[in-house]
Amino acid sequence: MMRTIEVFLVIIIITTAFIISSFFAVLPQPRQVSPLNLRRLALTTLQTLDVDYDLSGTAFKSPNDLTWGQLQIALSACLPPNIVYNLTVYEVLSGGTQLYLPLHSISNAESLGVSSDASSYLVASSNVTFRVIPEKIGERGSGGTLYILNCSDANGWWITGYTAQSLAADLYNLLSPYFKATIMVQTTAQLRQILNNNTLQGEAVQNAVVINTFGEAVPIPTEYCTTPYSNNSYAYYCYFLGQKVRLYNWTWASIVGYPFYYVSNTGNFPNDQNTYGIYGMIKVNKPGMNAFLQGLDNKPQYTYDNTEIVKDVGVVNLSPQVLDCCNYYGIYPSPYQTSTRAIQKSILNTYPHLTVGLPIFNEKSECYPGALYNHINGAKIEGSLLALGLTRTPDIRLTAIGLLSYYKPRLYRSNYTATDTSRLVVLQLGQVGGV
Amino acid sequence: MAGSTIDHLVSLMVFLGAILLFIGLFNQTIQTAILYQRHRSIATKCSDLLDNMLLNPGVPLYWGKSNCTPTGFGLQDPEFTQYRLSPFSLMRLQSLTGTPFTYPRTGTTYSNMSVGFGNFLFVPYTEAINYSIASRLLGTNNTYGFQLTITPIITVSIDETHAANPLTLTIRVAGTGFPLANAVVSYCFLKVVEKGGQNKPSYTSMFNTTYTDDEGSAVVNIQNADADNAYAFIAYAHMSGLVGVGYHERVTGHKEYVLPLIDSFEEKRVLLVHSYNVHDFGPPESSVFFNATFVLLTEDFALREMPMDNSTGKLGKVVYGQGTEKQYGTLTIPTYNPGILIVTYQSNNEYGVVLMPWGISSMAFPVTFGEDPTGKEWVATDIRQVLVNNIAYQAKLALWSLQGYQVIG
Repeated sequence: MMRTIEVFLVIIIITTAFIISSFFAVLPQPRQVSPLNLRRLALTTLQTLDVDYDLSGTAFKSPNDLTWGQLQIALSACLPPNIVYNLTVYEVLSGGTQLYLPLHSISNAESLGVSSDASSYLVASSNVTFRVIPEKIGERGSGGTLYILNCSDANGWWITGYTAQSLAADLYNLLSPYFKATIMVQTTAQLRQILNNNTLQGEAVQNAVVINTFGEAVPIPTEYCTTPYSNNSYAYYCYFLGQKVRLYNWTWASIVGYPFYYVSNTGNFPNDQNTYGIYGMIKVNKPGMNAFLQGLDNKPQYTYDNTEIVKDVGVVNLSPQVLDCCNYYGIYPSPYQTSTRAIQKSILNTYPHLTVGLPIFNEKSECYPGALYNHINGAKIEGSLLALGLTRTPDIRLTAIGLLSYYKPRLYRSNYTATDTSRLVVLQLGQVGGV
Repeated sequence: MAGSTIDHLVSLMVFLGAILLFIGLFNQTIQTAILYQRHRSIATKCSDLLDNMLLNPGVPLYWGKSNCTPTGFGLQDPEFTQYRLSPFSLMRLQSLTGTPFTYPRTGTTYSNMSVGFGNFLFVPYTEAINYSIASRLLGTNNTYGFQLTITPIITVSIDETHAANPLTLTIRVAGTGFPLANAVVSYCFLKVVEKGGQNKPSYTSMFNTTYTDDEGSAVVNIQNADADNAYAFIAYAHMSGLVGVGYHERVTGHKEYVLPLIDSFEEKRVLLVHSYNVHDFGPPESSVFFNATFVLLTEDFALREMPMDNSTGKLGKVVYGQGTEKQYGTLTIPTYNPGILIVTYQSNNEYGVVLMPWGISSMAFPVTFGEDPTGKEWVATDIRQVLVNNIAYQAKLALWSLQGYQVIG
């Protein structure tokens, strides 16, 4: 009998243990088991409302302004009907013990139910200006000069819709903050000066960047409108340019089309036209580019070469390196372009010292639609060519982003510490209905 | 001695019985707790997976604009950060809801994302990303099932309240929980000009702006539009960052019309085919003449017509028969900017307009992708507000487990 009593005592103990454990082991409600992520919903709602900076604008308006009503309508419209909200805007304070001061609040319910969650979002006033100081190319080494060919005595081709002068002005605005010195080469005479290593304004000629804004044409100084430069329809002049680019370690930028296809000097070629009615220029044709590459490659003798080295490859995409830099420098050309003058990859075999320093566009059909080529002598770069073999009309942002992606000057952004210029928006969401 | 034995036996039996009972009771509690824990982990996984889909653009970055199969699944627009989705990546998802159809001339099967008559979107299976690929790329195959729905937050509905001249249209704009009062509505009215005979139709277009009233409604009167005119009306409503799209068409010929089928995302190529390839209404099987145009939404929310050259294939005719005539037209869309392809057509003096979004957002098409969650034991859901080319959408993910006890329905 005693054992039976003992067993019942054990049962009573275990029952008590079960009741006590059941009492404490409270299972959560289904809503808590599988909750809607209200924090994320609040954040994405705030981001949606601020897509055109409408939320930022409203946060700085007085509480009586009509835009608050519009914000409430938009907020009510975009949240599911079972979600209640409270949106509060706080002034961000500094220097005191209180960090945030509530300014205005909108809500669609008296309470936010048993559980709620919130997200905060910092908005900036439209009066705030951010300062960015770019590093100057050449600051940490030699060079740092940007020459933009703006010769008044030359004509451009394949820049339809623009003039070389208007392109030069735009390039100046885009790129001058990044260079130690930016010089507009106003005449072909000035071009001759720098080709002879003479400075125009005391700048460094060596290691400079030269942008030819004349498209497929290249300005030619009067002094070079004679033999031997005029040999083979001025192909020899292009050879001479290639030599100078190597000698001074320049980066020569051709903004569009077939580089060195024409030479232009309105004073010397008043009766010559490019067969399309643009006077002041002579067609060099395909040998121009080949001659330039021979000069860049330091071939001791110029040899006439009429080989076709470009191809039409259609639509091309910006390379990942350049796409990354678009965000960094805030320059956004279309990532898709049409290339009808893509340089064939085979030139790297013809000129073994030539390497691709930066693909501006992805390679397509064994061609480089746009790239920056380096002439390498041992480990040293001696002259570069940026060639964008795109169809007209040119987008000079591509030249700018190509150069910036290659030189990679850093941007020093000022700290955002101005007072009374930012407000904190907190959106608290709660769920009604259900369990 | 006997009493002691009986006492022993009875106590042992009672003890064993009680132990078994308690094991069952405790097991029940533990099992419920484990299931709750499992459900909790599904909910967490759901939230993570949704962010994983929405906050990465996939590999390669621009897979939405190409014909390739991605090696990483993600729907974010590669040109933006945060919850902004690519209108083209979404367009390449194989629809769960639409009935697919096979175009007999090419033998290609198309995923059907259309929203009613005249608002078509057909994507070839060869270029659409199916659930199996997405599941494998997300690492959820055989472990989790999911359904992703992307629905526009703002609904813009358009009704014809007076058919004769002047044509009166009522626009109603509402969100998921509230009408959108005082919203700005930009609209485009495109009327088919009847030319008769064997001519390709032409069209006139008109662009304007109006505002909704306190109830989210706006009334638009269109002059010189009769009850027998075919037209398309597209409206964009926007307020405080929320943008929605609505459209309405009237056709006089709804048997023989042009059906746009996407042929290549990479080449931006669309096939225009005869409607009898979908529904054969029998003779007469007349040619359908078409004239296409493309409109896009500019940054200031105005609609702008984008000129298309004749070389893009915007004019032409399609036939149904097996003769020597060309059976379908090929059209190249001139841009990767999202917009609407508008195709006006005429056949046997019957006229009409069909629309096709280029980029899912331009006509606020919804997308349902994945498996049907009906009958699953525990389905966790999570939602986010997202932007698809500035159009406000809600992304909802339903997730369930395919492994473990009591999780398979």
